[in-house]
Amino acid sequence: MGKVKFGLGEFFCLTVLFELGTALVVNLGMESGRDAWLSILLGCVAGLIMFTGYAYLYRKQPDLPFTAYTRKLLGKYIGTPVALGYIILYINLAARDLRDGSTMLAMATMHNTPLFILSTLMLLSGAYVLHKGLEVLGRTSMVFAVVVMLIGLFGTLMLMLSGTINLNRLLPVLENGIQPVLASVIHQNYMFPFGEMVCFTMLMPYLANVKKGPWVIAAAMLFSAFLLSFTMALNISVLGEDIVERSPLPLMPTISKISISDFIQRVDIFVVMVLIIGVFFKMAVFFAAALVGISELFRMPYRRMLYPCALIILFTSMLDARSFIEHLDEGGTLLYRVYPYFMVVIPVVLVIVTAVRDHFSAPRPG
Amino acid sequence: MKSGANRKAQAPGTGSAAGQPPGSAPLGLADTVAQSLINLQTELGGSPDLKIRRIRLGGDSRIEAAAVHLSGLADTVAVNEFVIGSLLDNTDDLLRDKQEDGAGASREQSPLPQVILSRALAIGDAVLQEEWKEIMLAILSGDTAILMEGCLEAIICDTRGGEQRAVSEPSSQLVVRGPKDGFVESVATNISLIRRRIKSSKLHLEVMKIGSETHTHVALMYMKGVAGEDLVQEVRERLRKITLNEVLESGFIEELIQDKTFTPFPTIYNSERPDVAAGNLLEGRVVIIVDGTPFVLILPAVFTQFFQSAEDYSQRFDIAILMRLVRYVSFLVLILGPSVYLALTTYHYEMIPTTLLINLLSQRENVPFPAFVELLLMETAFEILREAGVRMPRAIGQTVSVVGALILGTAVVEAGIIAPIMVIVVALTGIASFAIPAYNMAIAGRIIRFAFLILASLFGFYGITLGLIVFVAHMNSLRSFGVPYLFPFVPLSVNGQKDTILRLPLWIVGRDKTPKQMSKELPEYMQLTTGHDEQLPPLILKNDTPASRGMEGENDEK
Repeated sequence: MGKVKFGLGEFFCLTVLFELGTALVVNLGMESGRDAWLSILLGCVAGLIMFTGYAYLYRKQPDLPFTAYTRKLLGKYIGTPVALGYIILYINLAARDLRDGSTMLAMATMHNTPLFILSTLMLLSGAYVLHKGLEVLGRTSMVFAVVVMLIGLFGTLMLMLSGTINLNRLLPVLENGIQPVLASVIHQNYMFPFGEMVCFTMLMPYLANVKKGPWVIAAAMLFSAFLLSFTMALNISVLGEDIVERSPLPLMPTISKISISDFIQRVDIFVVMVLIIGVFFKMAVFFAAALVGISELFRMPYRRMLYPCALIILFTSMLDARSFIEHLDEGGTLLYRVYPYFMVVIPVVLVIVTAVRDHFSAPRPG
Repeated sequence: MKSGANRKAQAPGTGSAAGQPPGSAPLGLADTVAQSLINLQTELGGSPDLKIRRIRLGGDSRIEAAAVHLSGLADTVAVNEFVIGSLLDNTDDLLRDKQEDGAGASREQSPLPQVILSRALAIGDAVLQEEWKEIMLAILSGDTAILMEGCLEAIICDTRGGEQRAVSEPSSQLVVRGPKDGFVESVATNISLIRRRIKSSKLHLEVMKIGSETHTHVALMYMKGVAGEDLVQEVRERLRKITLNEVLESGFIEELIQDKTFTPFPTIYNSERPDVAAGNLLEGRVVIIVDGTPFVLILPAVFTQFFQSAEDYSQRFDIAILMRLVRYVSFLVLILGPSVYLALTTYHYEMIPTTLLINLLSQRENVPFPAFVELLLMETAFEILREAGVRMPRAIGQTVSVVGALILGTAVVEAGIIAPIMVIVVALTGIASFAIPAYNMAIAGRIIRFAFLILASLFGFYGITLGLIVFVAHMNSLRSFGVPYLFPFVPLSVNGQKDTILRLPLWIVGRDKTPKQMSKELPEYMQLTTGHDEQLPPLILKNDTPASRGMEGENDEK
């Protein structure tokens, strides 16, 4: 199969950046109030369980992307529409991510730049990187994972030195029992950002190491869950539950609390950088997943579909909603009504089919 | 013209001299010396620097002969003493012996050249040559050709010499401490400078001629067993594929053998310093020496290599680390300095501490231009200054920099066209570009700086961040003879970190620098040498589905 291979380290970094994506800056899991950090961890556990299913499918067919084994397992007539559905899902996710990202950017700093221009620039950069190849995306993620980590370290250190962290704001833990936390997990967190790992099923065939690959990805998921949870806890301990709940991008006000001797202050540009990097890689991974799907399904050269696909993503992201509120509303609907089928139901069906097949066709000893 | 005899003497197809119009009889060696000489002069267009010395060999038999060389190219002493001198001195007795011998008629054909070659000539290197083209090439390279009556072969004596620049301190890549000799324009001298440093039988040398008109000598040097076998093979292959009329500088070769042609980054390192070349040879790289230029090519070259200086190894390791860090920082300043300033002052001024912001704004109060225009003007002015300073005679070059930097800078500020801080930013980036040891890497940085400038002016930090992503992705897509351009960082190699940004002391690094261990370690990434597909722009590659689109990333790390 493909000679392009990702190293484990590259895949780890790509996964971390993908997970952090937009999730790092938004108020993730705030349905559970000041226990948001707990709900993120629980969401990750749910995500890991889902990922076990994906990993199982991958282990069975380490050379095929997801769209290929839908056809293999479900047959040509059911499998092809399902595969097509997945491609549309990835394009949709990429477009939604692009819209999220560029709107947040417009909110954060670029107040006067048209959304379309912001999106175009982001998408063009993504198209360029993918044009250079999937492994280039992986290698690039390695550099920027380090950048994001350094920014995180710097931010945390500065917050500590500024003395704005008050851990008491996190107490009491589980004030209203476990109920709100679970509700938040079920409503949002298992799907965003951890359920979106489904798109890695398209990239896993490019893993260099079949055996360790899924473990590395799982480790990356766990790692990014810790980071997200830590960030959320940081937000709450700096700003308090109230402000975090009402702020769309709570990390920004958190970071802007940094002030050291009137010189290092208002470093929220770093948050914007993290946001850009996260959005970029998340979108690029969805984009890549869609491209791999298209080239596999239609037997087309990967690069020929690059720019048409980019155009589709761009216009989907611009046209899917008239305003950001509508966009968020749509996102909520999709999260309940559509995504679970793709991220849970179909993979579960595939896992069952594979397991049943294996059971009956397993070579009997003797 | 005895063309019949000519054709018999020449191997088919090689005899006619280049540039001879088809149809006319090809020039070549003739039976008589006189005719051969006429042919020679015709071919060179009666050039006056062709020196012909006609002599007679043998006391009694009087065989006509002539020694031919080009004045200026040949070493006159060698020609006089060892060629003509020894011919005149030694042939009398020899030929007499031979004639007596010849009475026995034991020798076939014309043993005369053999006899002279083996007995008479006192020169170190002489061969028999019968192909006209080769003879011409030899004469044009400074050798002396001896033509003899009745002989369809000429003796070529190695008398290359003439004026050459002496080995002197290199004009680029200076060091405070370290060897002060530099390569010169002669390939032979350059090889000797390297051989003098590595007295090892493993140091292999291959010489080929490239350029259908210039016939430039190109030498390929590597350490057998240290440099990857497939790397050497790949280099050889790519050199062989070059079809050029002229090779005047190593840049010609560099452009044709590098992996990807569309990038501002150099993927082949060049150096004027023999110690750098020797060090790289020992690390398993291949060195290409081109005649006529003091700059040798070293490959494969990764990004970090352009930030290393020979001096890093002469100074204490902690100082060397500091110096390297300074270079990396100055590269960052070079590409990002003006754009970050622009982004900060036009988009994100809240990041600037208030007192400084007030200061900046008051400076800019009277400036009529937007910051971007202001910066672009200054950067352009600085580029002009730099270009003017480089091309000027050295004495005037000083004046240019003084007039440019001091007078122009002050005047422009006083006239209120440019804010003073802008001069600081531009000057800083300008100086930063000089801190990078490799000139070609500094130029790459200068070009990229303008791209970032435009991005920053349109999109602020958003543009810069996306630009950085694309920038890193571009570097990741580059390969130098199969080695990923950002090698020790991406793909990550812990062992490679010892001598990249850091320069750990030799008692840590030194242990695994023995060639044997190097060869054990190197192939991991050196084996990635790829074919010529890398030279093609990606769009040309056929059938590139993700499945078949391989070639690049295999076995990066396992």
